[in-house]
Amino acid sequence: MAAKKKIIVTKPNAPVQQRLWLMYPPKLIKKPFIYEVGHKFKVVTNIRQASVTDEIGIVCLELDGPRSEVAAAIKWLEKNKVNVEPVEIGVIAG
Amino acid sequence: MSEQHGFMKALKCRECGREYPLTATHVCEFDFGPLEVAYDYERIKKSLTREAIASRPKTMWRYRELLPIAGEPTVGKQVGFTPLVKADRLAKKLGIRELYIKNDAVNYPTLSFKDRVVSVALSRAKELGFETVACASTGNLANSVAANAASAGLKSYVFIPSDLEQGKILNSLIYGANVIAIKGHYDEVNRLCAEIAGKFGWAFVNVNMRPYYAEGSKSMAYEIAEQLGWKLPDHTIVPMASGSLLTKIHKGYQELTKLGLVSAHNTHIHGAQATGCSPISVAQKAGLDFFKPVKPDTIAKSLAIGTPADGFYALKVMRETAAYADDVSDDEIRDAIKLLAETEGIFAETAGGVTVGVAKKLIASGKIPKDSSAVICVTGNGLKTLDAVNGYCGKPREIKPSLREFEALLAHEEKVGV
Repeated sequence: MAAKKKIIVTKPNAPVQQRLWLMYPPKLIKKPFIYEVGHKFKVVTNIRQASVTDEIGIVCLELDGPRSEVAAAIKWLEKNKVNVEPVEIGVIAG
Repeated sequence: MSEQHGFMKALKCRECGREYPLTATHVCEFDFGPLEVAYDYERIKKSLTREAIASRPKTMWRYRELLPIAGEPTVGKQVGFTPLVKADRLAKKLGIRELYIKNDAVNYPTLSFKDRVVSVALSRAKELGFETVACASTGNLANSVAANAASAGLKSYVFIPSDLEQGKILNSLIYGANVIAIKGHYDEVNRLCAEIAGKFGWAFVNVNMRPYYAEGSKSMAYEIAEQLGWKLPDHTIVPMASGSLLTKIHKGYQELTKLGLVSAHNTHIHGAQATGCSPISVAQKAGLDFFKPVKPDTIAKSLAIGTPADGFYALKVMRETAAYADDVSDDEIRDAIKLLAETEGIFAETAGGVTVGVAKKLIASGKIPKDSSAVICVTGNGLKTLDAVNGYCGKPREIKPSLREFEALLAHEEKVGV
């Protein structure tokens, strides 16, 4: 019989890498959110794609850091009205 | 046919064109663009002829060279080839010359078009050696993964938002799936599922298996063309949730044209959404090439995706095929469900009401000309969304077991004009 794979429980400070789409509403397009995230939290920000128009700002961002810091960074972005989705977008289907 | 990959060549980034091996992966490492399956069309052309197709069983697998599996299908072998119904009574009501309903409300085994994408994803997952499959869903996808995994002997995990209706949960539990309800906002559930998919190495049908999964939708386009006598319709009206189905119907029509199975035709592929969740339709009507995310609020739950993954590409297809998008309110959705049921005897779920309702609008406004041919895609069965029409279809008239009472009822109704 094949050995049962052990589930390793993720610790709060375990290093993670999350790939996200950030969508900024028009009135927030000029805000330096990515700079602020890099200073407020222990995360490395890495922009992989971006498109900014008068109507919307869309940034594809990789966040690297301890799990709790990445989670806090996402919460802070959402609190500031930035829409945050995993790069997969729409994982929940109908 | 190649021993290893069938008629597939590679996974290719839709943004930069970089190629990747045919594994369970879904985004380009360079720009995070979505990956799509690329095929060897020269070899397919030699194998996939009208005669070869006609000799095969009437399922979606009769076009197997154009579906992303290496060998023979192992999951959902009976899926597809649903009826294309010539809808003359509905055509008369809507005022169009030729109208058809592609009726995936009777798709096998779970009564929605999701059986197409899931059987492709699970067949490919088995080829890649997975024993556990998973999905995150609010309805049709969950049912289909649970049922198809059960019949294939695969272990399945289905993630759902914790506030989902009991009926929908039962429809997955009955197949023995591991159903995990997650408490939290939609965005949080979405991100957690993306993380789970990344960590556990399962075949997550619409995450790491997405390039294969999405290709299953093309089979709807192949069937429409074959059932029309190897012709493309002037217009196709497609419901949009993520926008993926619309882009794949377009890809399917293009592939048939490229392979010489149909003649080139100026076909228009229109998108339909519910007004309560219409990011793609709003963007199309405003002439934008991007959408703004919305918070869904509609009875068409199977289309309620506020940040549609393929919205950008769906807008591109509509631009390229000179097509339109429109949206309908909850009341218009219910009216359209009734209209379809009363004219054609087809009971569609709310998403079907959306496509019929939008088709009605596009014909009335002249965007779909009255002297053209059109196909309306119905993607799910009305039995799945009974709550949406409960209380809107009238009530039975009750009488005592007496012939006199029945005659009195008829006489009364004749008098008042029922």
